[in-house]
Amino acid sequence: MPKRRDILAIVLIVLPWTLLITVWHQNAIAPLLAIRKDDGSDARRDAGQGSDSKEYCSSDKDIVEVVRTEYVYTRPPPWSDVLPTIHVITPTYSRPVQKAELTRLANTFLHVTNLHWILVEDSQRRTALVTRLLHETGLNYTHLNVETPRNYKLRGDMRDPRIPRGTMQRNLALRWLRETCNANHSLPAIVYFADDDNTYSLEVFEEMRSTRKVSVWPVAFVGGLRYESPKVNAAGKVYGWKTVFDPHRPFAIDMAGFAVNLRLILFKPQAYFKLRGVKGGYQESSLLRELVTLNDLEPKAANCTKILVWHTRTEKPVLVNEGKKGFTDPNIEI
Amino acid sequence: MKMKMKMKLKNVFMLYFLVSICGLMYALTQLGQPCDCTLHSRQSSDLVHSRDRTISRLQGELKRLQARGNPEGPPKPALPTIYTVTPTYTRLVQKAELTRLSQTLLHVPSLHWVVVEDSPVKTSLVSELLKRSGLPYTHLCTQTPKDFKLQEGDPNWLKPRGVEQRNLALQWLRENRGPSDEGVVYFADDDNTYSLRLFEEMRFTKRVSVWPVGLVGGVRFERPLVERGKVTGFYTAWKPNRPFPMDMAGFAVSLPLLLANPAARFHLSAQRGNLESSLLQALVSIEELEPRASNCTKVLVWHTRTEKPKMKQEDALILQGLGSDPSVEV
Repeated sequence: MPKRRDILAIVLIVLPWTLLITVWHQNAIAPLLAIRKDDGSDARRDAGQGSDSKEYCSSDKDIVEVVRTEYVYTRPPPWSDVLPTIHVITPTYSRPVQKAELTRLANTFLHVTNLHWILVEDSQRRTALVTRLLHETGLNYTHLNVETPRNYKLRGDMRDPRIPRGTMQRNLALRWLRETCNANHSLPAIVYFADDDNTYSLEVFEEMRSTRKVSVWPVAFVGGLRYESPKVNAAGKVYGWKTVFDPHRPFAIDMAGFAVNLRLILFKPQAYFKLRGVKGGYQESSLLRELVTLNDLEPKAANCTKILVWHTRTEKPVLVNEGKKGFTDPNIEI
Repeated sequence: MKMKMKMKLKNVFMLYFLVSICGLMYALTQLGQPCDCTLHSRQSSDLVHSRDRTISRLQGELKRLQARGNPEGPPKPALPTIYTVTPTYTRLVQKAELTRLSQTLLHVPSLHWVVVEDSPVKTSLVSELLKRSGLPYTHLCTQTPKDFKLQEGDPNWLKPRGVEQRNLALQWLRENRGPSDEGVVYFADDDNTYSLRLFEEMRFTKRVSVWPVGLVGGVRFERPLVERGKVTGFYTAWKPNRPFPMDMAGFAVSLPLLLANPAARFHLSAQRGNLESSLLQALVSIEELEPRASNCTKVLVWHTRTEKPKMKQEDALILQGLGSDPSVEV
């Protein structure tokens, strides 16, 4: 029978050793940690401001948008202090190909000098996927989000041309620009609406940089044609539209076919894309007619004879083998 | 006698306790003071910081070189070259696909783009695109024999595509590269989407490296199964019993391995889905595969496909003799 005294003796022997070892272990680690914190102020990247949270309450009729924004400014590889900035507005929504689309779009944008990417998600809150993607690209970006209310969302695969997709997101981006950029002090800048599934050559960005009001150019694969294009007369002025689908629209042009000078956006603060009652194909006109007349349009791409942007669409991947319960690990992000 | 031993034992214990308590006090006092260990840890953290600085400096150099597009001839650092083999064929979206692929590839250092057209002659569209791309490239062409060519309306899986073109690229590599050339060969179709990280994962392949591919095989992604750093199988829903049940975009072969196996090629006769296996069987066994992308848990490449653009209005115009200007290249 082990006597109480013996147990006490054993405990008293073991206790100091355990204490000693613990203390020694901590002692070895703690100073190292303390030093790292002190010297951790090495600024390796030009990281600017941190996060900023604002709540916007829209007075737009009956739609209340609650939006939180966070922007991080880092200088992308090419940056010039003299070239106008191009604000590229991209609405996006979650679906299997989203990460792929945004990845290859980012790969394109990384080549463009002075590009500021305004990515607006159609979601209730900013998703981790997009947040991480944007941060990893190293691009100059602003990440916004606004959810399209059910009435305006497309249902499943049905394509109802009366419901314009991405409208609320583009409008939010326009509003953000108006609230952030001061009309008097803003440096020259251009606004371009780039959907996440189109293909852009690098030249189109250089063409649009010289926009004074609104510039236009041809777009491939729209309107059931090889390309749609503005009609340009000998004087270099746009006088019509070379399209088959409703060429008598005020601006028979695709979203990817025009760019607007930021000053114009700021001087006409009421100009937005119309949300309701817009016929198919008239969405672009709903904005442009509040900004310019046909006469003011500046044709680019060699008087609208070169194709510099393609309205490509990505097939919806067939995920039949996922089945009802899912086959692949949902934790692995695609 | 017992008393004496007990006394001695007691003394031993007392001594022991005294010593250990002294040691403890000493250690406790050491906690509060920066001592020699600080110097040691400061040295090691200095080392870490200087290494970090070197890394960020090299990254900056890399970005600068990428931005310049490498106009000064062969690349200076001895990075193994990634030979990206892209078979392509004329269709409406070809220029768009090659444009955005070239924009991705332009970011990757030490990359050589081998573009092989399914055509009897090199088209000016592709020639001009390659010239303006800023990439080091090789432009080849070979026509798929008629029996193996897809007809209008055929489902895309009916016949194997790009086989002769990829084989021609392999032949070019065998004729123009020698045993002293380091490199890795990657078969990149022109409609897939590639992240920039993927190319760094494959660069140092010793034999054949593999990784997951997204949006393929009817599932969100297919991937090799990895245990203790070795590939033990494949996680795929479609035809998992193939020798190598993976997509063309999911592996890369080291150049020396290809040159050492001059007979290895893709087989036109391969069954649906077995094209990749027809090459890999001659090169490696499953145990020799090198898993990448964090032990095959990250998706860095997606098997995207582009819709065929609707040409309803164009066709209608052509019937009226009013088709769009064919000299405007799309």
